[in-house]
Amino acid sequence: MTNSQGGGANGSTPRRDILAGSGPRADERRIDVYLSRLRYLLDVLRARPLFAVGYVIVATVILMAVFAPLIAPYPPETANPDDFLQSPSWRHLLGTDATGMDIFSRILYAPRIDLTIAIAGTAISAVVGSLIGATVGYYQEVGGVPSFFSGFVMRSADVLQAFPVFVFAIALVAIFGQSLQSIIAAIAFLNIPIYLRLMRSQVMSIRRMRFVEASYVAGTPDRYIILRHVIPNSMAPVLAQLSVNIGWSVLLTAGLSFVGAGVVAPTPEWGSMIASGFQNIITGQWWPSVFPGIALAITVFGFALVGASVEVLADPARRRAMAGSMRERRVKEA
Amino acid sequence: MSKDNSQTFKISRRTILKSGAAVAGAALAPGALSLGQAQAQDRANTMVVAAPATPQSLDSEFDVSLGTFEAVACLYDSLVEFEKKPDAGVPTASREDITDYPDKPGRVNMVGKLAESWEIDPDGTWARFHLRKGVKSNWGNELTAEDVVWTWHRKLALGAIGGFFANTISLKRPEQITAEGSHTVTFKLDHPNPLLLKLQPNLYNPIYDSKKLKEVATDDDPWSKSFLENNSAGHGPYELASLVRGQQAVYKGRADYYGGKPKMENVIFKEVPTSANRVQLLQGGAVDIAQYLQPLEIIQLRSAANVAVETIPATFMIWIELNAKIEPFDSIDVRRAMNFAFPQEQIIKAVFQGLASPLTACMPDIYPGYNGDYWEYGKQDLEHARELLKGAGLGDGFTTSLAYNAGDPVQEPTAILYQSALKEIGVNLELKKVPAATFYNNVTERKQPMIFYVDSPWCPDPGYSMNLYFHSKSFINYSNYENARVDELIDAAAKTADQTARLEMMDEVQKHVMREAPWVFGVFPNYTMARSKDLMGWTYYTSNNMRFQDFYRAS
Repeated sequence: MTNSQGGGANGSTPRRDILAGSGPRADERRIDVYLSRLRYLLDVLRARPLFAVGYVIVATVILMAVFAPLIAPYPPETANPDDFLQSPSWRHLLGTDATGMDIFSRILYAPRIDLTIAIAGTAISAVVGSLIGATVGYYQEVGGVPSFFSGFVMRSADVLQAFPVFVFAIALVAIFGQSLQSIIAAIAFLNIPIYLRLMRSQVMSIRRMRFVEASYVAGTPDRYIILRHVIPNSMAPVLAQLSVNIGWSVLLTAGLSFVGAGVVAPTPEWGSMIASGFQNIITGQWWPSVFPGIALAITVFGFALVGASVEVLADPARRRAMAGSMRERRVKEA
Repeated sequence: MSKDNSQTFKISRRTILKSGAAVAGAALAPGALSLGQAQAQDRANTMVVAAPATPQSLDSEFDVSLGTFEAVACLYDSLVEFEKKPDAGVPTASREDITDYPDKPGRVNMVGKLAESWEIDPDGTWARFHLRKGVKSNWGNELTAEDVVWTWHRKLALGAIGGFFANTISLKRPEQITAEGSHTVTFKLDHPNPLLLKLQPNLYNPIYDSKKLKEVATDDDPWSKSFLENNSAGHGPYELASLVRGQQAVYKGRADYYGGKPKMENVIFKEVPTSANRVQLLQGGAVDIAQYLQPLEIIQLRSAANVAVETIPATFMIWIELNAKIEPFDSIDVRRAMNFAFPQEQIIKAVFQGLASPLTACMPDIYPGYNGDYWEYGKQDLEHARELLKGAGLGDGFTTSLAYNAGDPVQEPTAILYQSALKEIGVNLELKKVPAATFYNNVTERKQPMIFYVDSPWCPDPGYSMNLYFHSKSFINYSNYENARVDELIDAAAKTADQTARLEMMDEVQKHVMREAPWVFGVFPNYTMARSKDLMGWTYYTSNNMRFQDFYRAS
């Protein structure tokens, strides 16, 4: 049994039914489906232009990270003491820092570190947290040792979340040493309870559904039911959380670097750039910290918008409400 | 705190509240800073200092934190001090006269503090101090020879910072310090020592009020360590009115001070951890002195109204320890190559904004005996550095790491500039940012291949400096440098009063050290005083701290 047979937990039309088959008619049908989805997406972006802004920001940041070596006019980690603290000019678009490094080039390179840390940390936490959450949710109400274990995991997550996130992150990096891997591990560790809770609550409702019970009665092993039926139908809120969490992780990475617990100097990273430049603001050299700060703020904002759009699109009720408002608008326009 | 606190508390409390309110207001609204009419009447005799930290402990035997220096300097007096003279570069500043005077006793130009006169053996085996009569401590006890004897016995017994000083001047046993009558004390040594007199004015050689400290001593604490952590018992111009660590210390000028009540009767020593905030407070007029500012902030303050900035050569030195017991720095050629690659000139310009000079020797250049002729790393020479590495079998370069203090804003940019320079000779320098709280542990462990160090020897003597940093048995020889000839010369110079011979010996030590380069020779950063324009009297001391008793209002 697959999710298509079960009809999908969120009520969406099963993808495999529409795209099934082969031959010219099937190809036409497939193109129609893609076109209708594209139209729908454009309608959504018209209805919510801020979502479009979010996608543009995220795409730009990713492109910056990929093409930084081609765009950046200067190497990002080479100091040039003859050019220290130069104000923005045509030679140095965003000026230079106290060691003469070009701020524009470093801002372009920074997403390579920030996004790597944020995406890796978030992905690890999503996978681990979802798996644990699914297991905990699945066994929560069966009684005996599995239920006790589920309760134990949830209370452990409570304890973990009781600590102030930032202080906990600093402590973790201090324990495991200041490296890229440590920061990723810290971010992953801190985010696990979020996904654990999201997945657990979803699984607890999915678990009672007929297709899960039928599978259980048919003698399908628990592991198979969790992986093939329960998790795929519980992923929507997790996916919605991902983008928001990436933005938050970028911010946490920058925060750790700002207090000296993040990346090692002179790695181009927004938080560390802000930290190394903020002392100069009082002496009038605002550009070493203001520009990375703006880049950081825009990026986090972009990921938050994308997260908001995923949240809306993944929720059938909100999606239907938005579709209704779009129809009304079209009628009015007509 | 004095016995007559109750009589003076009203006055000091009002002053403290007014000044404290001004500082708080300034912190909230730095753009509209004003001491206000209420405080104006007290401004003439009240001084507010914005410092990075308040004193941790008031016991100079154990604490070397920043705020403690100023506390010890105003609460205590030593037996003698260096005569002061106008600074050659800054007419409004004075400094200690640490010149070598062959015709003076001990070859130093000193004046009495607690001692009104003294005699010293030309061979350096004894010294006798005749104490000033009628000097009172902040507890009202009169200074006697017993105070001096007890003070040095405490150093010998506790064996910490004072123990180091006692050892440096060859004092091993309590009976070597004796009272001869009520106001005469004699130091007798087993062999000649050139520092017997020279080390007496050291900031951390204050004389205690032994009567008070014996009163508060217990069987478990016979040397009153607990009491001295939070209180003072000395003969200095100030007494402690209050101390709230992390916030402020308040000092009150003593009317019964033998040198007369200080002009600045009240001193509020306020903790303002961020240098940018200290700058703002000074610019706004809420404080009179802002300590330990960044080079760019100093440059900016020069154009501020009502602020005077004076910067003068000092005893501070910044260098990078090259650990001679860790490869590849066990090779002299590699250590020399690291020096030839160091972009010193650019660092002075970019990081220090010109407020420093090249570290051209392994001791302060303002001390007698300094010789800059052995300095050969003045111009960055990457080609020569490559050749030296090739000669050491490291033509393809190597990877190493440099630990720096996260709490010192000049170290990171210096390290980054050095990293870029080393890249050009194939050396991959990894930077390790160490939190300020654990940095000193990293230095003392001597496990880092390269680590920054900032220090200044507090005795204007080449033998003292060389012994500190380059004797193989010195506890602060953090580069693990070892040279038998250097040890032999330092040991010999510590046991003769023949200053001419000593200067020759120390010259040879400098020659060896500069050639064998156990340090990457960094810079001599200047000492800077950023103060209100009307606050005059600043004197520079080799201990790089200020003394409140020197200041007065021009108006």
